[in-house]
Amino acid sequence: MTAPAPRLRPAADRRVQLMATCICDAFYDDVAGATVEVLEHLGCTVDFPEGQTCCGQPAFNGGDWAASRRVVRHTVRTFAGDCPVVVPSGSCAAMLFHGAPLEFEREPDLPAVAALGRRTWELADFIVNGLGIRTWPGRYEARVAFHRSCHSRGTASGAASDLLLASIAGLQVLPFGEGEQCCGFGGTFSVTFPHVSTGMGTLKLDHIRAARPDVVVSGDMSCLMHLGGLAEKGGQPVRTQHLAQVLRDALRHGGLLPAASA
Amino acid sequence: MPNQPLDQFAARLPAEQRASVYQSTKGTHEKRTQLLFDQFADPDRLRQIAGEIKQHVVENLDTYLPAVEAKLRANGAQVHWAATGEEACAAVLRIMQARGARRMVKAKTMVSEEIGLAHYLEERGLEALETDLGEFIVQIDHDHPSHIVRPIIHKNRREIAASFEREGLGAYNDDPETITRRARQFLRHKYLQADVGLTGANFLSVESGRIVLVTNEGNSRFCLAATRCHIALIGIEKLVPRDRDLGLLLNLLGRSGTAQPLTVYTEFISGPRRPGQPDGPEEMHVVFVDNGRTDVLATECRDILRCIRCGACLNVCPVYRQASGHAYRSVYPGPVGAVLSPLLAQGNFAALADLPKASSLCGACNEVCPVNIPIPDLLLRLRAKGKEEGAPLASAGAPPMGAWALLASQPTAWKAALAGGKLLNYIPAKLLPVPALRAWESRRSLPEWRGGEFRRWLRARRRAAERKPAP
Amino acid sequence: MSSRDQILSRVRAALAPLPRRAPLPEWDRELVRVRQAQTAADPWIPFAARLRSVSGTPLTAVSDLVALLARSGWRRGYCDPVAWPALAPAFPRDFQVETAFDRTRVDDYQFGITVAAGAIAETGTLVLSDQVTSARLAALAPWVHVALLRREQIFPDITAAVTALPDDPNIIWCTGPSKTADVEGILIEGVHGPGVQVALLVG
Repeated sequence: MTAPAPRLRPAADRRVQLMATCICDAFYDDVAGATVEVLEHLGCTVDFPEGQTCCGQPAFNGGDWAASRRVVRHTVRTFAGDCPVVVPSGSCAAMLFHGAPLEFEREPDLPAVAALGRRTWELADFIVNGLGIRTWPGRYEARVAFHRSCHSRGTASGAASDLLLASIAGLQVLPFGEGEQCCGFGGTFSVTFPHVSTGMGTLKLDHIRAARPDVVVSGDMSCLMHLGGLAEKGGQPVRTQHLAQVLRDALRHGGLLPAASA
Repeated sequence: MPNQPLDQFAARLPAEQRASVYQSTKGTHEKRTQLLFDQFADPDRLRQIAGEIKQHVVENLDTYLPAVEAKLRANGAQVHWAATGEEACAAVLRIMQARGARRMVKAKTMVSEEIGLAHYLEERGLEALETDLGEFIVQIDHDHPSHIVRPIIHKNRREIAASFEREGLGAYNDDPETITRRARQFLRHKYLQADVGLTGANFLSVESGRIVLVTNEGNSRFCLAATRCHIALIGIEKLVPRDRDLGLLLNLLGRSGTAQPLTVYTEFISGPRRPGQPDGPEEMHVVFVDNGRTDVLATECRDILRCIRCGACLNVCPVYRQASGHAYRSVYPGPVGAVLSPLLAQGNFAALADLPKASSLCGACNEVCPVNIPIPDLLLRLRAKGKEEGAPLASAGAPPMGAWALLASQPTAWKAALAGGKLLNYIPAKLLPVPALRAWESRRSLPEWRGGEFRRWLRARRRAAERKPAP
Repeated sequence: MSSRDQILSRVRAALAPLPRRAPLPEWDRELVRVRQAQTAADPWIPFAARLRSVSGTPLTAVSDLVALLARSGWRRGYCDPVAWPALAPAFPRDFQVETAFDRTRVDDYQFGITVAAGAIAETGTLVLSDQVTSARLAALAPWVHVALLRREQIFPDITAAVTALPDDPNIIWCTGPSKTADVEGILIEGVHGPGVQVALLVG
């Protein structure tokens, strides 16, 4: 999977549209909030199109492309404009720049769908490759296991996340076994193939636990919802955080953001 | 909730079997990666070019097939065409009958598994003996291969030793070296008694008509050294344009499949032996097998016909590692099988329509594929096909997407659902009539529902910012 | 309609709707250049190193070959009739070497000595061909296979060897002893082919 080139780069005013993702809209408001704070700290003007719902991926992955296209069309209308769209999820970003054009390949509105794809950036990729930020200020005292989500394969997001995390004072990134392997979430796969999905998740947790991290970090809350939920159900909870939360907390601990805002 | 068949199979798989599949696939995958990245400056570029070469072949079979047929004939081979598996089996039978041949030794070929050749010949009173050690064990056990390259990845040495004892190949001994020596001793006399040697082909060069066969054990070489008639069963997609392209593909095949720079034996066959040669086949037949490939060629999934059967996608696949090969209920397991098997099933797509769902779409298969097949995209296309055709297996256990799409395309309804979802915080998921939620909750805790909280927070933040003067 | 015509017409029908066909890419052999490949004025040096790494045995003197065979008690074997006159003086009298391979007695041969048609330095591969190698079985069935190789026959890499394939109905590249990992992934050498693969430098 590769991000389309050339991608729309931020203008001088750094105006962006935030796609909060449905999972953050429903469960992880603090991740969406952290994304806003991080982007605003970087001088971005963050628009939040109120009509947004979901990127359309659940139906796309489920094979119901007609249903998915309906949602994608809504998303295309909702995110009208000409500034970058930033999303704190490698998975939703890949849906927009890779998945949606695939299911629209025979549709007349493919150009509009592809255009949204070219505007869409995963958060870490946007910070590093869109804004040119190479190091992250502040401080974050923790041993971190970073789970590179599968939808960032072949994109610049994995390397961008590594770069940012490694640059944070006090933060130690721990390598762990089989880092390239999937956590087993896979959307509806997690409920239609429950044994395989949790078998994969258990293996991932075993590798992560062996590294003894303070916190498991990823750029996708869906992976963390699966891993965190599995660990908790098993009676051995692990602490999980989205990369946006780590970046925001580093700013807070470094006195660069107020301790809690709004 | 009705579980998917593959998931049920995985749930029943003995832990010991899962562990051995995991260990050996993981080991090969890691060695493969190390070898490719240590030895080549840009292995991903290699995979990309190899993929372009094979895609070119697939999209030009209309000119390449007649061209290679002419080349094969000029080289002295006889060419046969089989539209179906049944026709391929019948073609082999006719060749054997014409020679009065009764005994065949077989090298490992996936296409012969696909068409059920050994069984077909045995039913007609002919002997068709597998000579690859793993395939030989599969045959004496009346079992099926569970991996493209490692057919008995699902068996341990104790089971194999018991099978050897049962077949009269010596008293029980589960030392792998002893097992191997006994097979060596038994099979070498079988080669010498056989009338026909059957192989597949890893590649077939259009330029020269050379068939390329790669093995490690030397069994295919024995088939072609000891017998007087060579039959090669070749899927119509196995062509490569030029001999020089083999330089690229051979460099990738061994490394991808078994983590070797080159397999032990790489054989180039361009015809029957010439007069004066003491051994080797005097007669050579090529049977081109379609068996559903032209159906695949007519779909947007034709990229799967690039596949060179290295097994790298099986080795890296987390689902294959959990479920093992028999879970795929077809000759081709793993990611490649999840695409190829339902397509090759022709009229029976619906019977295997669940396989494209048996993937978290993690993309590791594409990342290791030596011909860069976009397997996740093909799985997605087949999911859409399953939905369009209303195959029940394609949607077993999946939440209804139509209702969800309705919700997700109407902001007012979406916001109401965000608020309404708070019920989840008060009612245990197992009491809710939503199978997907119950399936989630049975194994993982569900986080607190906080629908709409972010939007409220953002509005408050915006109001606070408006009250403050801009800095 | 014959099966041939049926298949070809289905192929044509399947491809007809394609707006364009994928082109055949040209590729630079630098792509498959193996890093840190040993380059030496004498190609035997990298070849021998690679052959050792695939459990093969490079030798440079007939006396070493005789010593190796004698040490393991391998005294019965075959040798290519063309090569035998030059080798015979080095073999003690207690060796029984035949210059015709009798396929009815495959188990009687502990070694087979044949002439190689070439070699590949990068992989430690020996090239055998029908034109040059006197008997397919003699290079395969005995436990020990010895290939006689001349320095100038050694190709640097796979690409060079594949673009110089001779006009021969059968060419085989042998890279070390025959092996399997079918049983529990454990590597065993000497499955159907030789368990010992020797390259003897001659000339």
